[in-house]
Amino acid sequence: MINSTSINKLKTGVPLFIIFLLFGCSNPYKNLTKTEFSAKNITEIPYSLPQSEKTLIYKTSIDFYQRNISGLLIIKKTEKQNYRIALTTQFGLKIFDFALKEGNFEVVYCIEYLNKKSIISTFEDDFKLLLMQNKFEQIYTFQKDKQKYKGWILQSGKINYYYFLNTDNNHIEKIEQWKRNAKKISVVLYDYNNNLPLNIQLEHHNIKLKMNLKRIQ
Amino acid sequence: MNKIIITLFSFFLFLGVIKAQEENFSKVFDIEKTKANLEQLTEEISTIKSQFIQEKHLSFLTENIISKGEFYFKNPGFLRWKYTEPFEYLIIFTDKNIFIKDEENISSFDTESNKMFSEINNIMTGTIQGNIFNDSERFTVEYFENNQQYLLKLIPKMQEMKSMLQSIHIFIDKSDLSVVSIKMTESSNDYTSITFIDRKLNTTIDNDKFNIHK
Repeated sequence: MINSTSINKLKTGVPLFIIFLLFGCSNPYKNLTKTEFSAKNITEIPYSLPQSEKTLIYKTSIDFYQRNISGLLIIKKTEKQNYRIALTTQFGLKIFDFALKEGNFEVVYCIEYLNKKSIISTFEDDFKLLLMQNKFEQIYTFQKDKQKYKGWILQSGKINYYYFLNTDNNHIEKIEQWKRNAKKISVVLYDYNNNLPLNIQLEHHNIKLKMNLKRIQ
Repeated sequence: MNKIIITLFSFFLFLGVIKAQEENFSKVFDIEKTKANLEQLTEEISTIKSQFIQEKHLSFLTENIISKGEFYFKNPGFLRWKYTEPFEYLIIFTDKNIFIKDEENISSFDTESNKMFSEINNIMTGTIQGNIFNDSERFTVEYFENNQQYLLKLIPKMQEMKSMLQSIHIFIDKSDLSVVSIKMTESSNDYTSITFIDRKLNTTIDNDKFNIHK
């Protein structure tokens, strides 16, 4: 019933921009030839950031609607697949402190003005994606751009997490999170030094949130 | 009011670093006399120039995060606080505004209107400027001493502040009434400690130091 109504609407003339929107949102990776990644183990993916044992400190600026939050983001792998992610102001005061334990997100501390369910779950999405800690059902691999990029897709229901490896330098340079045919989050990582990115830019496509990270340690 | 604002600056006198320790401190007997001592010195201070070392302790890290920089103060209430290592970040406080230079981006805030921002940063600057120290509405202040130092323990009263900080401890060298260090402890017991070194008093500081564009 719903389908036939939709078709009728289409026939009676849908504004062009809706069609554009539909095409605009379609997932460009949909028709890639992908093969199942037999390992089913994310540590097989050559993404160095989540595997580093070092204390990573990024000078961070977060633009969140009209707000700007800046400070130092500290990422520390405390155990295998356990992480702490904390943001402090330049003056040292903690803004948030999150724990990720085998894909489970925990708020250790969050300053009152950010301690809202929607904000916290946004940060949860961001850091799980960045540290490749989302739960998934299946991993696929694919090739793109005449073999320049090799990719991994972590699939969980309607959500796909893409990790793109530049085969020239063997670094993960792009990460994307898609839900059905809509891109939700994209991350670019560049200027790798000692196998770790000096710059990371994370952007949401459905909300106004941008994160800019520059590594200082 | 100016006296109040610059009270703490009087503590930033010369001498090197004496490691702050909370051992063997007992309560100050004559608080009023101590306060009067500090305020008397304040009147003689027109400028302060100093270096600082900041240590951030997070329970999940084995090593503290160290940052360094410099600050300038000029009576009445002009403050330049600049991080130089391991990142650059400059914040300037004037009587009505806060200016920030983060790499090439300059932003400014009205101290009255930007509540959240002020709340976080006022803890830091307020400690230095002395308005937190004298703010009996927002803090309970306890005075301790040993042979070498005074220790002022500030406990926040307001709920909003309490959720961020459990205490601010200010260590003052008795020989010259200079602040040796400040320790801000969060509710989680993580802390930030700032040590002031190479303090120079009443030197000439150009007004350009408090101009974000220069």
